[in-house]
Amino acid sequence: MDNNNNKQFQMSFVLLRVLNSGIIMSIEKNEKEITGLEKILANITTLPYVSVFNSYTGALHGALHGKNIGYGDSVTLSNPTNKEEKFLKWLGISNLKDKETDVFERLSVNWENIGDFDKNFITQSTLVVDLTDLGFGPCAALATDEREVWEKAERLKIFGAFDLRTMWTQEESHPDLQPGIQFNYRISPLVAACTKLSLIKRGVAVEN
Amino acid sequence: MRTDFIKKPLDFPSDDMIHENLAYFGGKAILPADNRKTNFPYITKEDMMQILISIQHDPTKVIDDFTNRYRNYVGSNYAIPTASGTSSLHLALVGAGVQPGDEVLIPNFTFIATAQAVVAAKAIPVFTDIDPDTYCMDVTQVEKLITPKTKVIMPVHVHGLPADLPQLQKICHNYQLKLVEDASHAHSASINNKICGSIGDAAGQSLMADKNFPVGGEGGMAFFKKEEDYMRALEFLSDSGIDYSMSWIAAAFGISQLERLPYYDKIRARNAKFLSDALENTDLFSPPYVPEGYKHSYNMYRIKINPGAKGLDDLEDYKVKEAIQQIIMEEGVFAREWQNRPIPGHLPFQNKKGFGNQYPFCLSNVKRTYKVSDYPKTLNMFRNTLTICRELRSPIEYERIQSYALAFKKIDQNPDKIRRVVEELGDIKRPYEKDARLG
Repeated sequence: MDNNNNKQFQMSFVLLRVLNSGIIMSIEKNEKEITGLEKILANITTLPYVSVFNSYTGALHGALHGKNIGYGDSVTLSNPTNKEEKFLKWLGISNLKDKETDVFERLSVNWENIGDFDKNFITQSTLVVDLTDLGFGPCAALATDEREVWEKAERLKIFGAFDLRTMWTQEESHPDLQPGIQFNYRISPLVAACTKLSLIKRGVAVEN
Repeated sequence: MRTDFIKKPLDFPSDDMIHENLAYFGGKAILPADNRKTNFPYITKEDMMQILISIQHDPTKVIDDFTNRYRNYVGSNYAIPTASGTSSLHLALVGAGVQPGDEVLIPNFTFIATAQAVVAAKAIPVFTDIDPDTYCMDVTQVEKLITPKTKVIMPVHVHGLPADLPQLQKICHNYQLKLVEDASHAHSASINNKICGSIGDAAGQSLMADKNFPVGGEGGMAFFKKEEDYMRALEFLSDSGIDYSMSWIAAAFGISQLERLPYYDKIRARNAKFLSDALENTDLFSPPYVPEGYKHSYNMYRIKINPGAKGLDDLEDYKVKEAIQQIIMEEGVFAREWQNRPIPGHLPFQNKKGFGNQYPFCLSNVKRTYKVSDYPKTLNMFRNTLTICRELRSPIEYERIQSYALAFKKIDQNPDKIRRVVEELGDIKRPYEKDARLG
């Protein structure tokens, strides 16, 4: 029975199911895969506000922006990778490294740790999760218990949550949350669907 | 399971329909309410099979395969697949040599990503007004805006009509500037058979699922003519650490869709010609202008309204437009505003926060106020045009395009009814006085 259950959720099945739904565009009104991925990440991390990005650097940028850290500011991120160092430098943000507590936690999920990665983080209020190593393409998320951090991170996206809901700028509804630079950090629902399934089946091998 | 198959055939429309009462006033709509939806992209068994094949392969191979196929189709020398059109434009600009504090000339009428890509390249966007016939960058304004800081001119092939690249190339040559195309609307569009994306020094193009050529969700492609520009873009990716990679899933879908792109283009061109010929036979509406030798890809189809031709010139043109929009929606044709405010009037350019602490806007010695009143031709266009977007982008069946044409003809027959709706509207805001719409 378990074996059959595993097979009915093969990645190819998931991809074809999403293709058959006809919804492969992130800004589609009835898109469900990206919001589904955000929901499962909220469940796993117990952090209620989640925003998915089309790359780890996008999610890192979202977390920094959410914490009001921009060009000319500094941040504390211990043990940065070479890529993280480069990206911070490109953003014009200096890293104080080990001088204080990290401003948020970072975690990479792969097939080795997917079964229990939630045990590896120390419940910081904000977490950046890299899901790229699962192999579906660049994919990452910001999870936080601070609504304002999430709101600001969403404003970093062209057609982020606010624009998607209203298709209008924030002039009237969110005067304190007006956008500056914006990137297209939106992810394909197809990538989100595969990542979502992998997280649902944590610890169980997923076949093609 | 959801299917793209059209379950309900649309009846052949009759020319007599144009003499019936407008649906807005209780008459029968030209397109029935349950038969107005259009699908795009089409997802077929070839797409399914391609995904099943690609899932067995190395992701890098799938992405490389897609990139090479599409680069060859466009006729570009070098290409970098990206996560989005915005990131492809950013890469095209840095590949062309844009440095922090440089100025990039772009049209004010475009999607916001064009301007945000300039800011992402840490450059300052300098906006031109538009040519009132083509809606593309007004080439006559370009030289006046060039300063010692100008590095790149980035025209947008807006709606799919190529910008005046021959003239812009001359200006670039005279001032030693680079020409970067924003080809996000212009898949397969061309000038004298040279496909957009291959003409300038570099180009960026969106391949998101809502474009004429869609990949599986979000994606883009940066094109380069010279190896040195291509290498500069690759070096930037390495130096910045930024991840702009395309997913193999998106690329796999692109492989099978590319096979069908020429077919889709032909249907779109056929439909656009049919509608344009019909609009030419009305007084009230004018189709898009296409210069000789230019191939329009009709990612969107903008229709000009001429109130004076029907004795409605005593009314405010934007009210006539609003009335027509409401009337034609009731007939079943989703013609609407696409953009309502010049991009410099959007909040990111009013606020100039940039990456934080006003960077890179603080690098400029010129205090730019980004006033929408600086773009009168664009404001005028917003007052008297309507756009058909996805409804014409989808390669729709012949009876549907006939119905669209009849809907416009029907409205053309009813200037008095338009007047009545305008009077009912009362005082309404001009399009650019409302909150800025993103799309």
